[in-house]
Amino acid sequence: MKKLISFLTLALATALVAPAAEPAATAAPAAKQAWSMNFDLDWTVAGGLPEKALLVSLQGLANRTSPQFYIVHPPQYQWEITGPLFEFYQRKHGVQFTELPTADAALAQFKSAAKGYVVWDKTVGASLNVAFTIAGLEDAVVVSEELIPLVEKHGLKPIDDLRGRYTGQTDDVIYQDAYDKYWARCAKDRIMLMGGHVGAVRMPGMADWGVREKMFFHDLSANPKHTKELALNRRLLSEIEPGGYVFGWHSYGKDTEEQYTTLLSTYGLRMEGLHNLPNLSFNCQFTFTPGFKFTNNHHVAKDAKLTAEPKVYLAFVQSDSIGIGVWTKPGRGKLPFAWQVTMNWTEFSPAALEYFHESATPNDYFIGGLSGPGYMYPNHIPPERFPLLMERANKLMAMLDEHVMEIMDNSAADGNVGNADLTKETVDRYYAAFPNVIGFINGYGPARTRDLRDTRPMISYDYYIDPRRPRAEVAADLNELIALNAKRPYFLLIHVRESNDVNSLVEVTKQLEGPIEIVPVDVFLKLAASNKTYTTRYQDPEEPKHFSGYPKE
Amino acid sequence: MKNRFILALLVLSLAGGFAPVSAETAPTAREAWIMHFDGDWKNASGLPEKAMLIGLQGLANRTAPRLYIAHAPDFPWEITVPLADFYTRKHGVKFTELKTADEALTLFAASAKGYVVWDTAVMPTLNVAYTIAGLEDAIVVTPALIPLAERHGLKRIDDLRGRYDGMTDTQIYADAKTRYFARCNPDMIMLMGGHAGDMRIPGIADWGVRQRMFFHDLSGNPAHKDEVALAMELYGAMNPGAFVFGWHSYVKDTEEQHTTLTSTFGLRMDGLQSLPNHSFNSQFTFTPGFKFQNQHHVDRDTKLVAEKKVYLAFVQSDGIGLGVWTKPGRGKLQLAWGAIPSWLEFAPAALEYFQESATPADYFIGGLSGPSYMYPNHIPADRFDGLMREAVRQMEVLDERIFEILDNSAADGNVGNADLTKETVDRYYAAFPNVIGFINGYGPARTFDLRNGVPMISYDYYIDPRRPREEVAADLQELITINRNRPYFCLVHVRESNDVNSLVEVTKQLHGPIEIVPVDTFMKLAASNQTYRTRYQLPTDPKHFEGFRRE
Amino acid sequence: MIAGGLLALGLATAAMAANPALAGRWRYEPTLSTALDGWHKMDLVIALEGTKVAVTHDMLWIRSKVVATNTYDTARAVEAKDYFRVEQRHMAVYPAKGGVTTATAAWIDGDRVLRTEAFTPVEVSQGNVTMRITSEYRVSETGDTLTVIELHSTRNRPLVYVFKKVPAEAAKN
Repeated sequence: MKKLISFLTLALATALVAPAAEPAATAAPAAKQAWSMNFDLDWTVAGGLPEKALLVSLQGLANRTSPQFYIVHPPQYQWEITGPLFEFYQRKHGVQFTELPTADAALAQFKSAAKGYVVWDKTVGASLNVAFTIAGLEDAVVVSEELIPLVEKHGLKPIDDLRGRYTGQTDDVIYQDAYDKYWARCAKDRIMLMGGHVGAVRMPGMADWGVREKMFFHDLSANPKHTKELALNRRLLSEIEPGGYVFGWHSYGKDTEEQYTTLLSTYGLRMEGLHNLPNLSFNCQFTFTPGFKFTNNHHVAKDAKLTAEPKVYLAFVQSDSIGIGVWTKPGRGKLPFAWQVTMNWTEFSPAALEYFHESATPNDYFIGGLSGPGYMYPNHIPPERFPLLMERANKLMAMLDEHVMEIMDNSAADGNVGNADLTKETVDRYYAAFPNVIGFINGYGPARTRDLRDTRPMISYDYYIDPRRPRAEVAADLNELIALNAKRPYFLLIHVRESNDVNSLVEVTKQLEGPIEIVPVDVFLKLAASNKTYTTRYQDPEEPKHFSGYPKE
Repeated sequence: MKNRFILALLVLSLAGGFAPVSAETAPTAREAWIMHFDGDWKNASGLPEKAMLIGLQGLANRTAPRLYIAHAPDFPWEITVPLADFYTRKHGVKFTELKTADEALTLFAASAKGYVVWDTAVMPTLNVAYTIAGLEDAIVVTPALIPLAERHGLKRIDDLRGRYDGMTDTQIYADAKTRYFARCNPDMIMLMGGHAGDMRIPGIADWGVRQRMFFHDLSGNPAHKDEVALAMELYGAMNPGAFVFGWHSYVKDTEEQHTTLTSTFGLRMDGLQSLPNHSFNSQFTFTPGFKFQNQHHVDRDTKLVAEKKVYLAFVQSDGIGLGVWTKPGRGKLQLAWGAIPSWLEFAPAALEYFQESATPADYFIGGLSGPSYMYPNHIPADRFDGLMREAVRQMEVLDERIFEILDNSAADGNVGNADLTKETVDRYYAAFPNVIGFINGYGPARTFDLRNGVPMISYDYYIDPRRPREEVAADLQELITINRNRPYFCLVHVRESNDVNSLVEVTKQLHGPIEIVPVDTFMKLAASNQTYRTRYQLPTDPKHFEGFRRE
Repeated sequence: MIAGGLLALGLATAAMAANPALAGRWRYEPTLSTALDGWHKMDLVIALEGTKVAVTHDMLWIRSKVVATNTYDTARAVEAKDYFRVEQRHMAVYPAKGGVTTATAAWIDGDRVLRTEAFTPVEVSQGNVTMRITSEYRVSETGDTLTVIELHSTRNRPLVYVFKKVPAEAAKN
């Protein structure tokens, strides 16, 4: 997230939203009362963070039993969905929001949800995570010392005070202490990896969810160099229930996305990012509107048989979550595009999925992923955990009306490039676990894993469009691939990195040479099933790996 | 001037720096009026009232500068608003705004003796009406504007409705010639062409009316024999060295054709048809104490010695190249600018305004080809020296030492044959004994010479503003590679509207023993080592257009 | 590929080379070049000895460093098992496993320019194919700029990489 991270730029332009059909009479929502706050973009530790941390913890408590408190972020916030979704709740769920202009007003409204406060130490970053853990367990809000008068004004009493407790201690020592004190009482099917930004800015936008769900908060490293942190990290992850969730995101100052995702996959856990994803404590309490059902824009029936002509078939896939960076870019709808949906939002944010669905054009097609019912690296999922996870993925795909599964394993890759292949064992498992898909997609950058079993092809990306690459070079690259892969049909699967402008891709396609046909990805896979001009290939053990993974314990 | 002049048009931003008025130049207060025009010049909507007001301006400004028009920012000449400020600041003009045509007539109707009605169905009648307006002190109105004019006590002087129905332009202007030409100004004629179709921008009509010029838009296209013949009759009847103000009709002929035609009669072209406020501007002089001081980098008699390098100089020739003047980055690159010399006479304040906003990297040169825009290969030999004496005088006032020449008569738009015959070159060397060098071309050309330490260098490269910068860099690099002898003198013509910042980026991409120098230094270096070949236009070189045979 | 060892040769004298100005360490200049995706930095270290020209690619991507040398001979064709091709790593084009590249080189344009031609096997999704890579190495008049123009048999748009000379002292570090 370099992949997920920027993907998450939920750059939703309201202009893109197709006018919603009037709710059917049966779906007329009953009015619900809720409160909202508008946040600014100041997340600096020395500036806006303390009050926002307080409010986000208060939100988690306020939303414990019903959705009462929603936060709207500025359009420049990484998740731009908060404004459109705010409007969606009013329009489709009849929520009537009352704005809370200040923290004082929010405390006046929701102080009864809290039993007291925990003081974190601004000089010890990890103490904020410990405070969030305590907040969930003890129904407390988190405050830095200058906010104590404010919360006391509202009658809140001190529950704990971390000032001085962890001074001079390393993160592994701090979190070990927290583990000893609180872990036993925390949720065991989920944990909060509250990493992300470090230094002068921190953005714990997802803390409401962790507080509501009584999660253990930490930002322990998955970097093999940090042996002590890694050891405690592994202990925590090993104690999460099978198929559990790691919410949040890795620390940008400690390890990489690839390292952390590899680590949690090693335990068969599911990643749901990012650390700044807001309002899950609110969103999770809504279901789809009455009568709403996901209906994907399929172009071929599941059992259809197509025959490829001697052509070059291209398909475009946007995999970064729902690829919101591109979703909002001008031109969506001009090219057939497949969008990888964050499946678990069916559980945590159904309104957001419904919102995307209602703004889909006929050229937008949704596919499942990424690798499972959450973000995971399948080469590292323990075999015994694989079927359970994929059973869950199958169910979610059925609910979302998806026929294509997308896989990504960047554990051995080097950033966005490098070895992104699947072992034969992993491929075998997918074919066994997804008997009903029409095909699989693999990779992020280009990869070489390809197969065709019965009628289900597995095709890796032959090209990754970096949004910064000049369009003329993108066209030249694609033409070169078309020249190199001289057999026809040639199946050229293209991964569109989030934030690529669709209009510019349309221009690229006009520069392509040869018997080109751009097809939706379901058609692409059906065609690829008809004439296997691609090689069967899996990850070669001799190929270099940037990172080999973690030893079994 | 689709090419040269059109876009060159005074795209002046307000961002230019202003020097404070010194105590000894404190102006005395003077009263004037200003109107703000919008951008609607459609025949069916904005044109009739504007045409009336511009004509009125010419009459109002007959004896004193009283009415000034400020145009919208997207008007081709963006100078109007900054120049109004300049008049206020440096000449103490106190402008009172007139908001409507009614207000303008209330104030200035007394300057007119009546009105002429033109026929919106026969567009040349507007030009005939303007001719009459100058001669009879009339304003020009459409039928819809008659009540307004009459409300202000103006009487009908003439009515062109129906007079020219069904007649060709040749017939119309021949009739006008018969009726009016003899009384018109023999030193100035108005070529009121430019846009055709559903819009007209007769911005310079105030000047034509004030100066009692004959207005026409006859063609210089040899395919239009009758129009050309009549135009030649008119031009042939002008006094030696007379001016053709305005611009050719975009639908009848080309800039090259018409400039060739005017040059054939030794006339001076001063565009465009939309240039506003000459009737006002012409009545000011430079502010007391102001003197043009060019930023010379070498003395006139300095001798430099070129090293084994590639010397580049950049020149902006389109008018004062105002498209670039206002672009970000001016001052970051040594650039030579071709000023509009006739403005010494007709718009001195504008020249003073440019001079005060020049940076140390800006250097002014003379041209284009003469005291106005002309194609020298076609100037009659007997007219040449007289014209160039005026050009020499202008250069002295403007403190310029380099003269720029352009003859696109045989070119094909911006490219093609832009060379000078040996006879033309001989005449220039004779006429300009004090310059330190000549520049030739617009697109690239092949005329080179070196006589008595004075080089004549043609452009080796023309930067089209639309050409991708990386291709510009590759083009220049290729020229540097092909011209392997060192020193290599690479003179680059910067088309108006090129962004100077992007040119700076281009120069960073060049490799080799490059040195960018001011054009006066360039000339002095080019005088020291003639690695370029002496060459003139050869009779065998292909020509897109041979020119007109004078009767 | 004769990696590493030939790096030292890069700064050696090149008495017999047609254009000795080509020798030395050159640093990729991204603002003047075709975009180089999948790599952040590229140095070329060129060593000339007799008819041999060793072109070492010193590449960096994030923290991953790759050093690989292609050695050409202007007198004869050479074969290399690990010929290094500057990949655009967002394309699924990989060196073919076990592939052998045949390469030739010549001094052209009055011995100022080195032209190389390599026939290198690559793996694509349809299997292994051969790509011809014709490159010209042009040193600027002042000796401080190297332009490498790379033309693929499979690509109509040439790749143009511009390098600046790394001063000898800095190159040692």
